[in-house]
Amino acid sequence: MAGTELEILKGITLEIKSGEAVAIVGASGSGKSTLLGLLAGLDEASGGRVVIGDTDLGELDEDGRALFRGRHVGFVFQSFQLLPALTALENVMLPLELQGQAKAREQAGEFLQRVGLGARMQHYPRQMSGGEQQRVAIARAFAAQPSILFADEPTGNLDTHTGAHIIDLLFELNREEGTTLVLVTHDETLAQRCERRLVLAAGELVAA
Amino acid sequence: MLARDWRGGELGVLLVALVLAVGVVSGISAFATRLQNALTQESHRFLAADLVARSSRALPGEWLQGAAQRGVATARTLTFPSMVFAGDDSMQLAAIKAVSDEYPLRGELTYSEQPFGAVLPAAGGPARGEVWLESRLFPLLDVAIGDQVSIGEATFTVAAAARTEPDQAASFGGYGPRLLMHYDDIPATGVVQPGSRVEYRQLYAAAPPLLASFRGWLEPQLEDSQSLLDVSEGQPGIGRALARAERFLLLAGSLAVVLAGVAIALAARRFSERHTDYVAIMKSLGATSQRINRLYAGSLLLLGLLATALGCLLGWSIQALFFGLFAEQMPVQPGASGPGPYAVGAATALTCLLCFAWPPLRRLGLASPLRVLRRDVPEENRRSLADYLVGLLAVSLLMWWYSGDLQLTLAVLAGLAITVVLGLGLALTLLRGGRLVGMSAGSIWRLALAGLQRRGTANAMQVVIFAMAIMLLLVLVLVRTSLIDAWQTQLPQGTPNHFMINIGPEEVQAVDQMLRSQDIASEPLYPMIRGRIMAVNGDELPRSDDLQANRRQRESNFTWSDTLPPGNRLIAGQWWPVQTDAALVSLEREFAERMGIQVGDTVDFLVGAQPLQAQVANLRELDWQTMQPNFFLVFPPRLLADYPATFMTSFYLAPGDKTFLNRFIRAFPTVTVIEMDVVVEQIRSIVNQVSAAVELVLAVILAAGALVLIAGVQSSVDARMHESAILRALGARRGLVLGGLFIEFAAMGLFAGLLATVAAELSVYILQQWVMEMRYTPSPWIWPLGIGAGVALIGGLGVFSCRRVVSSPPVALLRAL
Repeated sequence: MAGTELEILKGITLEIKSGEAVAIVGASGSGKSTLLGLLAGLDEASGGRVVIGDTDLGELDEDGRALFRGRHVGFVFQSFQLLPALTALENVMLPLELQGQAKAREQAGEFLQRVGLGARMQHYPRQMSGGEQQRVAIARAFAAQPSILFADEPTGNLDTHTGAHIIDLLFELNREEGTTLVLVTHDETLAQRCERRLVLAAGELVAA
Repeated sequence: MLARDWRGGELGVLLVALVLAVGVVSGISAFATRLQNALTQESHRFLAADLVARSSRALPGEWLQGAAQRGVATARTLTFPSMVFAGDDSMQLAAIKAVSDEYPLRGELTYSEQPFGAVLPAAGGPARGEVWLESRLFPLLDVAIGDQVSIGEATFTVAAAARTEPDQAASFGGYGPRLLMHYDDIPATGVVQPGSRVEYRQLYAAAPPLLASFRGWLEPQLEDSQSLLDVSEGQPGIGRALARAERFLLLAGSLAVVLAGVAIALAARRFSERHTDYVAIMKSLGATSQRINRLYAGSLLLLGLLATALGCLLGWSIQALFFGLFAEQMPVQPGASGPGPYAVGAATALTCLLCFAWPPLRRLGLASPLRVLRRDVPEENRRSLADYLVGLLAVSLLMWWYSGDLQLTLAVLAGLAITVVLGLGLALTLLRGGRLVGMSAGSIWRLALAGLQRRGTANAMQVVIFAMAIMLLLVLVLVRTSLIDAWQTQLPQGTPNHFMINIGPEEVQAVDQMLRSQDIASEPLYPMIRGRIMAVNGDELPRSDDLQANRRQRESNFTWSDTLPPGNRLIAGQWWPVQTDAALVSLEREFAERMGIQVGDTVDFLVGAQPLQAQVANLRELDWQTMQPNFFLVFPPRLLADYPATFMTSFYLAPGDKTFLNRFIRAFPTVTVIEMDVVVEQIRSIVNQVSAAVELVLAVILAAGALVLIAGVQSSVDARMHESAILRALGARRGLVLGGLFIEFAAMGLFAGLLATVAAELSVYILQQWVMEMRYTPSPWIWPLGIGAGVALIGGLGVFSCRRVVSSPPVALLRAL
């Protein structure tokens, strides 16, 4: 932080309907990831309101937001964010355990089967390729059965072929689970598969 | 690059660790050197010289000339008993000591303007025609300052009260009160004739090399009746206390080296981990391994120079502070320490950097440029076994070099080894004990336990490091406590500070009554009989004037008792039954060893002109440092009943009650009172100051220990922060994350505390038994202390280091990590 405050997002008003798939696109530094962080309750806005369902995220403290995230929100990150010390299965179990679910292991196993990693449950992230790691991340995101899923450049670290495979998986699970999907991407083909595209430029919404 | 890396934090720890290592090592070393210096002077002080020649006949004047030619300062003394007369009918036997103008060569002569008055330092002894009387001689002779007294044919003016002389202990023959006069006045008195009971002394003082050459010239000229005395003649009570303090300081300094070494190793390792990516980028841009090694070696060198300069400054301040505390109590000015200690400090910095900081940094050059593309390329900073061995060897050598004491080094190493072995055992148990599945994030306890287990090996290493730091601190606290306790019990408040000897059997009751009526706390009155040990098992012991000879006929004080005297311990044989008629004797252990006598031997004595034979019933051990009457030889009362005895005791007199002595001496003119209060006070104040220095060093070492703990916690923070950030993104509450972290760190603290306590007790046992020569007593209180400190410190530091994980939004953390 270099002293002066930066206004990263300006006058953005948008509504996302339940079950909708929305892509946020824009050049680097346009504020896409910041917007995603705010929408997901990972960050605190300096002004304005984020309302998900009946919940105004601005009215929650950090623990309130954490509880909310645990119950309603799933994530897929560009850099996967798997815990290196945990096996694939344990990584997927994590959000279920946080919710106190009794059958975390079974449920996690089922989702790993669904992303095609049934045979690699006991493997550690370092023993897996990038595409496989992202599949574990997707299984982790869906395992908690969130009502809304945020994905930050989910294919950003993957080659085209693997990326396409991951996208297919994402949309397939999204359809099956009826989850709302918000993703940030550079990838036009990915954006086009969404029902709506939000274009950000210099922190402002220029097309919806 | 240094400036940029400063913000990373590890460099700060690295620099502080280095500065502390250099500072503590050079400071303590300088302090110890100067203290040693002062100690030697202190013991010279008790001779009033560096070397003394003595004889019962006049010593050759050529020796004084020979000394002057060799640059050695000289003085002369003569002591003898003589009657002193005052007025028409007052007279008293006194111990006369005549001194030349140069006396004393070492130490300080003191006087007071009135008997028992304020003590003042004197530039030299009495002028010609004047005498100084010991305070108690004034009432005995019924004189005041300015009156005349005569010795033999000469008359002198009483100019002052003599208080202390450096070599007072040497002339403490029990001849009665002392009188000081000028050496050149002796001929006028006419009392010193050939065959008189006198002792001539020549005192010499010079720098060690000059003195050594003079001694080399003098020694071959000595005749049988002449002997030399030097400082090896036995140190005063203060000596042992200070010597132990010095050992403690060296121990503390050695521990500082170990602690700082560990802190440096940890900080350097984290530094290199953080730099792996940076190096990968540089390599991908074309930097060679050599260039990178040069870059980091250069930075390290710069850091080392900076740390050495700052550390030496810190070291100088530490020793200056210590001497600031001491200044008033130091009887002599400590000499300069010279550059030696600072060289030790710089060598420590160099060793620490080479052996602890360089290995992980050198590996940086091996970092794969592929990391730029793939994060999962393993980091090339695994420490090999060789690194640990090199580090251990370096630390051991440093400690050994520094303390100059193999036993001390081995005792500490034994403690460290126990810690490592137990720590590794713990690691294996943790790893084998069936892995809990996953993060077990549902409960705070399971989360923490799973975390502990998941990082089993890394945690075990950390526990070992924490345990080492805590153990070293506990060792120091324990040794300090027993050291100070030992000093305090040696000289508790109310320690007897006066001795009374030569009490006739008919006076015993009256003396006891007078002491009681004044509420003066005194030891029991011990009978004392002067006798001579003549033969062992019928073999006559050699006659010898050489006081150094172990086996010889010698004079000693006997006492009698039906019970083991208080403060004595029986170490061999049996104590005799009350009222026994058997001819038995009890010997002090060291005395018996010197004479080569064992339990069951028959010993012949001569008391006055009467022979006495007794069988050795037992051996005793006693503490000579207590100010209580102690005897080499104790007999059953009935055995000595027919021999002429006098009695002695010791008592405590508060400074305000000194006038009691005047009344007492008037009532019992034949009793001799020996004033030890000045000496006791001096010992006490030096002990207090040394205790303060010991506490100060402890505080500095505690800082070094805290640094190790901080560096240790920091080294594991990155991985934990990452996990915690993901946990929070996935919806974990702060309480869960923070609570889990606290429990995990606290559990490590618990294990570390436990390990440390076990190892510390062992180390202290070895140290006290063999190095400090103190009696070992277990200290149950360190168990809660060690374990409690482990839990609180490591739990608290862990949570404090990870606090960012709950205070900033998870998105910021995930981006930063």
